[in-house]
Amino acid sequence: MDGVSKYFDAGETVANYRLDLEVADGEFLVILGPSGCGKTTALRLIAGLETPSEGDIYFDDECVNRRSPSDRNVAMVFQNYALYPHMSVRENIAYPLKIRGIPPDERDRRIEEVTELLHIEGQVDKHPGELSGGQRQRVALARAIVREPSVFLLDEPLSNLDAKLRQEMRSELKRLQDELDITTIYVTHNQEEAMSMADNVVVMYRGTIQQIAPPEELYARPRTAWVARFIGSPPMNLFRGTRRNGAVDLGDAGTVTLDGVVGSDLEADTAAGDVSLGVRPEDLFISTDPPTDGNAIEGTVDTVEPLGEYALVNVSVNDQLVTVKVSDAGVERDDRVYLTFGDDDAYLYDENGELLTRTASAKTT
Amino acid sequence: MTEDNPFTPTEPSAETRAETGGQRYTPVDEIPDVAPSKELDWRTRIVAATPTAWRVLKYGVAIAVAVLWIVPFVGLFMASFRPLGEIIQGWWHLEGMTVTLENYRRAWSYQTAPMGRALFNTLIVTVPSVLVVMLLGAMAAYPFAKFEFPLKTTLFFLILLVMAAPPELVAMGNYNTLREIGLFDTYMGLILVHIGWGLGWVVLFLRNYLLGIPKELEEAARIDGASRYQIFRTIILPLSTPALVSVAVIQFTWVWNAFFFPLVFMRSPELYLAPQVLPLMRGRIQVEWGLMAAGSVLTMAAPVILFLLLERYYKRGMVAAVAD
Repeated sequence: MDGVSKYFDAGETVANYRLDLEVADGEFLVILGPSGCGKTTALRLIAGLETPSEGDIYFDDECVNRRSPSDRNVAMVFQNYALYPHMSVRENIAYPLKIRGIPPDERDRRIEEVTELLHIEGQVDKHPGELSGGQRQRVALARAIVREPSVFLLDEPLSNLDAKLRQEMRSELKRLQDELDITTIYVTHNQEEAMSMADNVVVMYRGTIQQIAPPEELYARPRTAWVARFIGSPPMNLFRGTRRNGAVDLGDAGTVTLDGVVGSDLEADTAAGDVSLGVRPEDLFISTDPPTDGNAIEGTVDTVEPLGEYALVNVSVNDQLVTVKVSDAGVERDDRVYLTFGDDDAYLYDENGELLTRTASAKTT
Repeated sequence: MTEDNPFTPTEPSAETRAETGGQRYTPVDEIPDVAPSKELDWRTRIVAATPTAWRVLKYGVAIAVAVLWIVPFVGLFMASFRPLGEIIQGWWHLEGMTVTLENYRRAWSYQTAPMGRALFNTLIVTVPSVLVVMLLGAMAAYPFAKFEFPLKTTLFFLILLVMAAPPELVAMGNYNTLREIGLFDTYMGLILVHIGWGLGWVVLFLRNYLLGIPKELEEAARIDGASRYQIFRTIILPLSTPALVSVAVIQFTWVWNAFFFPLVFMRSPELYLAPQVLPLMRGRIQVEWGLMAAGSVLTMAAPVILFLLLERYYKRGMVAAVAD
């Protein structure tokens, strides 16, 4: 695997697939999506636990469709860890080595190395049943790492841990991946995990890839309305409106001119149709007086959720609830407010949910 | 996604706490190590300990059923340890009781068919019948539980169907077959019949158990590089220990105590098995109750000892199975 890129290119018609995906050596790729979007299937296809009914999977330039999982030199960590309950931790970690006929001396050396790396030296003689969730997780990782695989596959490895442990393991996984420099594919439904660890994030929805991008880009330039709503917590607000004469008509709430939003390099200003205007809660500002210039959307405060660090204000705009993230609420229910935003922070999606804005927003997080 | 956010505070805000004052919270060092014992006077304790009439009735029925079960066994034991003269009036007459091992000595070396030899013969038949059924049963149950292959349901249904047949029906066919191939009146023939007869329920039993083993374990092993056979030997078999032990105990008891199959398939008296020998001990002039009782106890002992020996593994297996 000398710096050659790997091609994964699988299509499975039954599960509504047509995936084109390319992972570079040493990359940390996260597949993110809601449950049932096919992300685990994608991972299992790569692992060889499923065979693609259409399309081909390549490791380097070699088609591995017909190869068994063991021949692919992949290692996988399962959501429920899948530790062998009748074996001690040491035997668990040694299992893949034993199967591959690695001599006992070498086995012991590698086990020692990997248990040290994961800080489970003290647990090697225990059985998985005696370990806590975090420790089991480490053992499962150790079992995967000890083989020195060419691809490392993780299927929601952190979802069975409590919040604190999860955060710990998250940074540890990231550290491990940096140290070992193994190509890693990580499946999760937790966007925080995805954003914090990934070099590249693949967002999947209903068996198809919605967007492949580094985390910053995913946040700053969601390709579709669906991704926009999926990424970010709370998610992006999408105002439904009609596009007309270079502006978006939001009905009673007002009109937003698109001069700053949509670049002039795009379609003519006269283009019309149903569109959605997306603005992230953290990019919206609240004021009780109508602003003198710029775009403003009118609405009524519905609820205020104080969360300590910040507050969420839910504003009802045209029967639509819009969330605004502010550091200090200062408004109450039924207050009449005006929402303003910077032109760079707004995104326009057509009726198919595709991003219209082409002005590559310079904003980075 | 918000429920996954560890930063999202879930506790009530500081203001609500302050309103109720500091009294609301118990300092950590005030928490006792053990649950505080209740101060009660004797009267309350006695009342609490006295069972209600309904409870007494339930216990009464339960104890009666238990006694009903145990009485024949007690009688058998008593009869086996006493001379015939004492038990002819009934084993429950305890006056002038003499304990003797005479019955056991006589049963062990009974002239027509000594119990000692019969027990050994039974062992020769039982051990292979149990071990082969366990191995073949596991090997057949595994694909039924975990693989997809054509006619899977049909074949499985067929196995269930065969199980429903009564042994008397099977015996006729088997009798003829064994005669044809020259295995009649041999242990090999009897063992084969026992294996065939046992496989049905063993496959059903083990299949159901194997269904409960998470498929991720096998997938993990596959990714770790194990072949199908290695998965079976190093993952599936060790994990099925508790089920296999159950199979061993039940199949052992069944084969050991089997009367009908040996009766049909074994003819030579020197090859007789223990359950066949028992009726021979009745005696000519007078029923030798003591002798028969001793023979029965000797026959019964083997499955009981096996169960006691395997109980440990049984329990260990259970623990391993639940400790995910």
